[in-house]
Amino acid sequence: MIALAFTLKQGDFELTIDVRLGGGVTSVFGPSGAGKTTVLDAVAGLRRPAAGSITVGNRVVFSSAEQVDLPPHRRHVGYVPQDVALFPHMNVRRNMLYGRRPGQRPDLPVVARILEVESLLDRGVGELSGGQRQRVALARALMSSPEVLLLDEPLAAVDVELRRRILPYLSRVRDEFGTPIIYVTHDRAEVAEFADEVVVLEAGRVVQHASRAEWRDTSGPMSQGAS
Amino acid sequence: MDLTRITLFTLAAAVAATAVMVPPGLFLAWLLARYRFRGRVLLDTLVSLPLVMPPVATGLILLMLFAPRGPIGGVLGRIGIDVVFTWKAVVLAMAVMGLPLFVRTARAGFEQVDRRYESVAATLGAAPLRVFFTISLPLAAPAVIAATVLGFARALGEFGATIMIAGSIPGSTRTLAVAIYSFAETGRDREAGALLIVSAAIAFGALWLSTRLTSRNGLRA
Amino acid sequence: MVPLLLLLATVAQSSSPLTVSAAISLSEALEAVAAAYRVAGGTPVVFNFGGSNALARQIVNGAPVDVFISADEAQMEVVEKADLVRAGTRVPVVANRLVLVVDSRSRVKAVTDLGVAEIRRIAIGDPVAVPAGVYARQYLERINEWTRLQPKMVPVANVRAALTAVLNGSADAAFVYATDARIAPALRVVATITGPQAPRIVYPGAVVRTSRHPQAAAKFLEFLRTPPALAILEKHGFTPVTDTR
Repeated sequence: MIALAFTLKQGDFELTIDVRLGGGVTSVFGPSGAGKTTVLDAVAGLRRPAAGSITVGNRVVFSSAEQVDLPPHRRHVGYVPQDVALFPHMNVRRNMLYGRRPGQRPDLPVVARILEVESLLDRGVGELSGGQRQRVALARALMSSPEVLLLDEPLAAVDVELRRRILPYLSRVRDEFGTPIIYVTHDRAEVAEFADEVVVLEAGRVVQHASRAEWRDTSGPMSQGAS
Repeated sequence: MDLTRITLFTLAAAVAATAVMVPPGLFLAWLLARYRFRGRVLLDTLVSLPLVMPPVATGLILLMLFAPRGPIGGVLGRIGIDVVFTWKAVVLAMAVMGLPLFVRTARAGFEQVDRRYESVAATLGAAPLRVFFTISLPLAAPAVIAATVLGFARALGEFGATIMIAGSIPGSTRTLAVAIYSFAETGRDREAGALLIVSAAIAFGALWLSTRLTSRNGLRA
Repeated sequence: MVPLLLLLATVAQSSSPLTVSAAISLSEALEAVAAAYRVAGGTPVVFNFGGSNALARQIVNGAPVDVFISADEAQMEVVEKADLVRAGTRVPVVANRLVLVVDSRSRVKAVTDLGVAEIRRIAIGDPVAVPAGVYARQYLERINEWTRLQPKMVPVANVRAALTAVLNGSADAAFVYATDARIAPALRVVATITGPQAPRIVYPGAVVRTSRHPQAAAKFLEFLRTPPALAILEKHGFTPVTDTR
């Protein structure tokens, strides 16, 4: 269970959120500038809310009332940023092993198999295609045994054709690992195909929080995700 | 005059000074590149001061601090450590004069490292020190190496502060630069000339190396 | 019109300042003499004080100096050898004595005490060429103490630097002139170097051959040897030259 109940200010922008999420895939959906990445940054500990609390699993990672603010390296989150950010000075294997503590599950071969990156393990980061980089980044995040996966528009920089091939990997991750996923996107099709519940953000406010079945695209014209 | 001895002493002292300046230099470069804090501009200015002040002025400040009656010299004297007019003063002067150059160059390197990498590393469970050694430092390596070479080159050529706190004692504090001065002042032009050539050759080599390192990686220091 | 300009030119010429390079130990004394000279109607004097060896080098390298007063004959020889002494102007000006000074708390009582462990560093002008250092070395060699004390020697650029070293504690003892010790009352004079092994310290002065104001320069040098000037010099601790050269 993930509870997000905080406000965060950034210049003129203010984000207010108060939701409890189930254990599956939650899509944070909305137009650009709505504050979606900010939600992920707050959960990861990269930005500090002005007030409120954030709970992941049964751990309070942030609470202004109790003066708790765990630094990112103690929050056990797996963050895949929009630009993927694979470490350029390490090969694929070392990238994947970076977050792993000894004796931890899952093992490298397991994750590599599920995300089909076995043949890439000894390659340099610069030799990978866009889709491969996404899968490696996902694998890296998974290898650190996170309590929640934070994916920031993982398919935004990928073309339509590739998207259809990567989405199954995300489903596989959900099915094989059972880790809760918070998934930021502005693409309706991805939400429809992948999410269990949806949080709709607009200009820093939650305008809708529903299960996928109940979710209706009630807002005005938005990106059809066909770029 | 023993040309070999003077040269070897100067090189050894410069190496020691570089070793002394790198750890605090890395720390300061990192701090100034990554953090906003009160007194940041003041710290930045203080660190850069020896670059802009006349070296003899810096030397004078060091003398006031480390002379046997000075605040630091007095404390060290009580535990039996003599600084002024010993090789330790040479290393100190070289390190103090080289540090600002090192910090400047290393800092530029750290600023060029995308913070995204550091954030991701942190979310993967790396504490700040691990992030520094496994991500920031390797990615800034070319600049840090160039900074080290520059700091070393500056240490090699250091004169003004050195002569103030270490003097020109044959066999124990006479560096290349200081020896050139002493020999020129006392009319020994041939020796001064020989030292001049050695000094220029070493400086040329160090700078060439540093330029090679920075331009290969597209970095301008 | 032209005669007027010429007159103005000569007046300007004769009152343009003289540049005098003089041994640093003469600093206060010569400033006082120059003031008296001015009062007596002489030209203004601008001083360049330093180690005599450094001053000699500057002159040899073309520095525009009118008068040179060195703390020893050797550095005047350097200038003479470079053919930069105006003929017939080289004269002895004043004499001085060497002393050994220590911090007032030191227990050193004689030059021979310098071997004790308590004395770690002895500051002297560079014994290769700075007159005060050369004098000190000559003396110590004559009393067979030089080899023993040499490891403790800290050569510095000039005699005042040696004085400063003891004042700020970076050296435990120094050989300076008696005139320097007078301006540092906080230090204790252990010994005044006199006797048959003491070096004969005479300061020669001369007009530099390339001087633009040779007459004015000669006049100033002459003034230095008159009773009023000598009185000022003696007040600062210098002694008159005893031999006639």
